[in-house]
Amino acid sequence: MQVNLLEFWPKILQAINETLIMVGVSLVVAALIGIPLGIALVVTRHGGLLQNSAFFKGLSVVINFFRSIPFIILLVAILPLTRFLVGTSIGTAAAVVPLVLFSGPYIARLVESSLMEVKPGVVEAAEAMGASPWQIILRVYVPEALSSIVLNLTIATIGLVGASAMAGFVGGGGLGDLAIAYGYQRFETDIMIVTVLLLVLLVQIVQTLGNVLSKKMRRQ
Amino acid sequence: MIQFENVSKVYEHNGKELRAVDGVDISIEKGEIFGVIGFSGAGKSTLVRLVNLLEQPSGGNILVEEDDLSRLSKPGLRKMRKRIGMIFQHFNLLESKTVLHNVAFPLIISGTPKKKIKARVEEVLDFVGLSDKAHQYPEELSGGQKQRVGIARALVTSPDILLCDEATSALDPETTKSILQLLKRVRDEYNLTILMITHEMNAVREVCDRVAVMENGQVIEQGSIFELFSNPQHPTTKNFIQSVMESDIPPSILSGIEERGGGRHVYRVTFVREKAAQPIFSQVAKNYQVEVNVLFGQITELQGIPFGQLVVELLGEDREIVRALDYIQRTVSVQEVEADAG
Repeated sequence: MQVNLLEFWPKILQAINETLIMVGVSLVVAALIGIPLGIALVVTRHGGLLQNSAFFKGLSVVINFFRSIPFIILLVAILPLTRFLVGTSIGTAAAVVPLVLFSGPYIARLVESSLMEVKPGVVEAAEAMGASPWQIILRVYVPEALSSIVLNLTIATIGLVGASAMAGFVGGGGLGDLAIAYGYQRFETDIMIVTVLLLVLLVQIVQTLGNVLSKKMRRQ
Repeated sequence: MIQFENVSKVYEHNGKELRAVDGVDISIEKGEIFGVIGFSGAGKSTLVRLVNLLEQPSGGNILVEEDDLSRLSKPGLRKMRKRIGMIFQHFNLLESKTVLHNVAFPLIISGTPKKKIKARVEEVLDFVGLSDKAHQYPEELSGGQKQRVGIARALVTSPDILLCDEATSALDPETTKSILQLLKRVRDEYNLTILMITHEMNAVREVCDRVAVMENGQVIEQGSIFELFSNPQHPTTKNFIQSVMESDIPPSILSGIEERGGGRHVYRVTFVREKAAQPIFSQVAKNYQVEVNVLFGQITELQGIPFGQLVVELLGEDREIVRALDYIQRTVSVQEVEADAG
């Protein structure tokens, strides 16, 4: 078993690297899409700062649409789009596209729920002071909800770790791929146990980091 | 100066009309503390939000410092709002920011240079007595301290008007008193016009110059605190006054009067100003063949003026009582008390 692990160690390191890239890049891009959409959901809804019912309903339907497709189907269904965007439909870079489409709308909903926790009275106070809608978004909504947004992004990140394992299965690489390819299909149980343990460790680290960061954001 | 001219606010809800504010006329002078009192749902919360257009009026005119609000553009409105400070029942502070940042907020959003902000924030924090709390967070403060932060935040832009939305309703009586005294100081030192809405008659009595009583969206009575307390017209007004001045005769005293049967002469005598200090009843007893039996009463102070009510029974010959009553009526207001009505 020791021999086996030593032999696989470079493969494991590479898999860790791939997982971190897939999750990291997808998270950043999905957050860049999801956070503004989450804000849009809050400010355009009925009674919001920039109330626009048509926009709100349209956006809500689109987000629900993406969120209702099972990830494994999304992965395959958007292969042409992936090929168009990154030039290939296999490999780590290609896995990022479905991961973003999967978690972007999810993050939008999570951010929406974080922003909804901001007390309406605080927003009203800012309005009464003559703050513009933009100022209210950037100086009231976001800072007040930041701690909760960070916690929710932690949830999204852990979701991405899980999804990246599936993405790996269709050529993205990563720890999930290693576990399936060696551990499950070739009955190398020790490899499977090691990779799963590494995934457990990764999730623990992400959650701990998220908790610490969220606590810091409560007082800026 | 704030002027409401026939102002209404109508909400549509499931096809039904709700007149939250209904034809209100109020004129508030510069430097005045004006109270609007009413039970919850009376429309006072909507009324105060019409002053800075957090609510759009459905009809009528609102003039704030000569400006007609409805004619303002969006940037014009934001500019106007910077001249109107507002404090709230639940303080509405940014929980993620320090006291310093909270107070600085109105200046930050209007692009004031940092150096100026710091100096001004220190000044107002000192005024409200929270200089030592600048770097703390709202959740570390007591309710009264949070409201002081709210007041500092409202004052930091040197506004002309301060709106208080149930500003003391979430505070204990002791803290309420200190916040009300602070509001008085705000008016005296900055010559601000203060419009405060509340359901606590105590708060109104403590600081207001004039008051309007609201019910079902309408102002049912308005006048100086003194006029209202000494001569309330509407039952709701009487109700509010009773909440701070016990004017109902206690049942035990009432039944005592009843037991003695017919021929009783019980009167409610209201004293105002210096008359409260005059020894009216001893004069009556001296000059007429009557005895005065004080059943119940209290004397208090309204805006620095003594104000009292006594319920007295006059004992003696009917003819003498009529003469005595006539004498009393020449100096103070007298009302006959029906024993069964209290």
